Amino acid sequence: MRVPALLRTTSFRLTLVFLALFAAGAGALLFYIYVATAGQIIRRAEAEVTRELRTLERSYDRGGFDAVNQAVIERTLADQRYVALLLAPDGRKISGTLEVTPADPPTEVDEWVDFRIQDLAPDGRPIRRSAIGKQVRLPGGELLFVGEEIAEEQQYVMRIVRALWGAGALVLVLALVGGLLLSRRASRYMAGLTSAVTAVRNGDLQARAPLRGTHDEYDELAEGMNDMLDRIERLMGGLRHAGDAIAHDLRSPLTRLRTRLEVAMLEVEAGRGDPTAALEQALEDAEHLLKTFNAVLSISRLQAAGQAPDPVLFDAGELVSDMSELYEPFCEEKGIDYSAEIAPDLQVRGNREFLAQAVANLIDNAVKYTPEGGAVKLRARRRSSGEVEFSVTDTGPGVPEEDRGRIAQRFVRLENSRNAPGAGLGLSLVAAVAEAHGGRLDISEGPGKVGAFGPGLRAAVVIPGVA
Amino acid sequence: MRILIIEDDVEASDAMCRGLSEAGHECATAADGVEGLEAARDGEYDVLVVDRMMPRMDGVTAVETLRREGDQTPVLFLSALGEIEDRVAGLKAGGDDYLVKPYALAELVARVDALARRRETGSVNTVLRVGELEMDLIGRTVHRAGKEIDLQPREFQLLEFLMRHAGQSVTRTMLLEKVWEYHFDPQTNVIDVHISRLRSKIDKGFEKAMLQTVRGAGYRLEA
Repeated sequence: MRVPALLRTTSFRLTLVFLALFAAGAGALLFYIYVATAGQIIRRAEAEVTRELRTLERSYDRGGFDAVNQAVIERTLADQRYVALLLAPDGRKISGTLEVTPADPPTEVDEWVDFRIQDLAPDGRPIRRSAIGKQVRLPGGELLFVGEEIAEEQQYVMRIVRALWGAGALVLVLALVGGLLLSRRASRYMAGLTSAVTAVRNGDLQARAPLRGTHDEYDELAEGMNDMLDRIERLMGGLRHAGDAIAHDLRSPLTRLRTRLEVAMLEVEAGRGDPTAALEQALEDAEHLLKTFNAVLSISRLQAAGQAPDPVLFDAGELVSDMSELYEPFCEEKGIDYSAEIAPDLQVRGNREFLAQAVANLIDNAVKYTPEGGAVKLRARRRSSGEVEFSVTDTGPGVPEEDRGRIAQRFVRLENSRNAPGAGLGLSLVAAVAEAHGGRLDISEGPGKVGAFGPGLRAAVVIPGVA
Repeated sequence: MRILIIEDDVEASDAMCRGLSEAGHECATAADGVEGLEAARDGEYDVLVVDRMMPRMDGVTAVETLRREGDQTPVLFLSALGEIEDRVAGLKAGGDDYLVKPYALAELVARVDALARRRETGSVNTVLRVGELEMDLIGRTVHRAGKEIDLQPREFQLLEFLMRHAGQSVTRTMLLEKVWEYHFDPQTNVIDVHISRLRSKIDKGFEKAMLQTVRGAGYRLEA
């Protein structure tokens, strides 16, 4: 049999479990109340019957059989709650409200007896009422039975029990309805998540779970899931983009390499052309391809990992002065006025090689676009925020503001830089390194336009410092 | 020098072999870790070139086994795994150098040369001599044909490395790795400028240029 979807939900099942627990609890409570009240009633009746018996026995002690008989007759006439019966030693009735003793066997004494009293209702119908009583043997051999009606009390108990049953049933119904409502609510929450998951599974990476704005655990789950999907989408996008980028940036040099080799072969076959020069050119092309490939690989790894591999604690100032020392002669050779300003004590936690590469790329990039006679300045300092900043400022042509956000994207090389060497990956790698260290790449305008130079560019890697 | 290449990519090891033979080495190949381990145990090799990932037995395990057996033959690891942790794991296992694929043949040859030669000159010299060039490692002085040459600290380190590998090609990457101690790929050949400064100091005014550029590979200090 197929169970409706709503009844298969976890929350409904939980409701059922709690309902069962509750029912068991309520049942136990009911039983306890019943036992407590009913027992109390019986005990009180017993105490009263015992007292009555004692009173009668005392009157026997004082006045003998006649006194008891007298008392029983008086009590029979008076309209009171007790029933009584006085029997002669031979079992004959002497006086009392009952005709026969309810004791069974009739001679049994000192045992509690449950019995019923036959009576006539005002309309003439016979009614039977519960009672309990006890028989004692008097010193003269007579039997005395005294009982008390407990019907009214019992009815009272029954009313309580009925009320409890009713309340229990009402609670059960309410709980069931509540459970159903809760299940439906939870199902609706879950349906959002499930449909998002199904959509993603079916290939729609843009699908997101709806948020209800209630900031409860469901929203938290949905938000977490959406964040996860965002990250997956970014990564997938990154991969797809990397694929495109590799295709774009490796395909053309590969084609160039191939064409050059083909032409060289034709020329050599025709007896002209220099095979060595062709091979050298091919080697250079291959070298360039390798560099591009390595850069693409580094970027992909950093982006995929989302964090710097093998982080260590070190003084970034030393690293920057190493890079500065490495590049200084190169700048001078190009006729660029190079200067460096490195603050002491710049502790950072990160990957030394990648950060070195990032700083090198910043300098590289600056030198590449700065004409002879221009200036490049390297600075490493701690910002007031505690972050460590490596910046390189040049006096090259700079980058228009609208393009600045784009130049760190993979393989973006602006039109005016088409002729400069480089794979267009330098700043992308810098940005990837900065992001992997929990930082960023800031690109802003350089010192401004001075004569033929400027306005320049200032590229800065900002990463969290360690105090 | 006798070189053993342990690499499961047969075409790659053939190409390497040809390249190393061109450079004057004798070369043998093994196609997996187990075969390589046996060949390394049997043969007298000067350098082992070991791929990290191979069928049957990976390169790290093979080299660890050799080292446990007391074999100290220099090992150059080749790997597609280029992360620093991989490099460290390779060097820890007993590798002496680590080259990440894809690499240039010139790079491989230069590194194999460096490893092969290192074995020969294991002695502790306080003075290095290459032709007319003399370097005092304790006094931190350099003379060429008796004339003192004034070098910056980095130039001194650079020349020391070149002198220790005199007659061999050393690549720019090797210099960056061994002299500056950074493993990365500079976009421009910053090393060239350092070399040309050093060259102007040691070769200027002398008839013979000792510090030579090797096309497609790097530099070589000739006696």
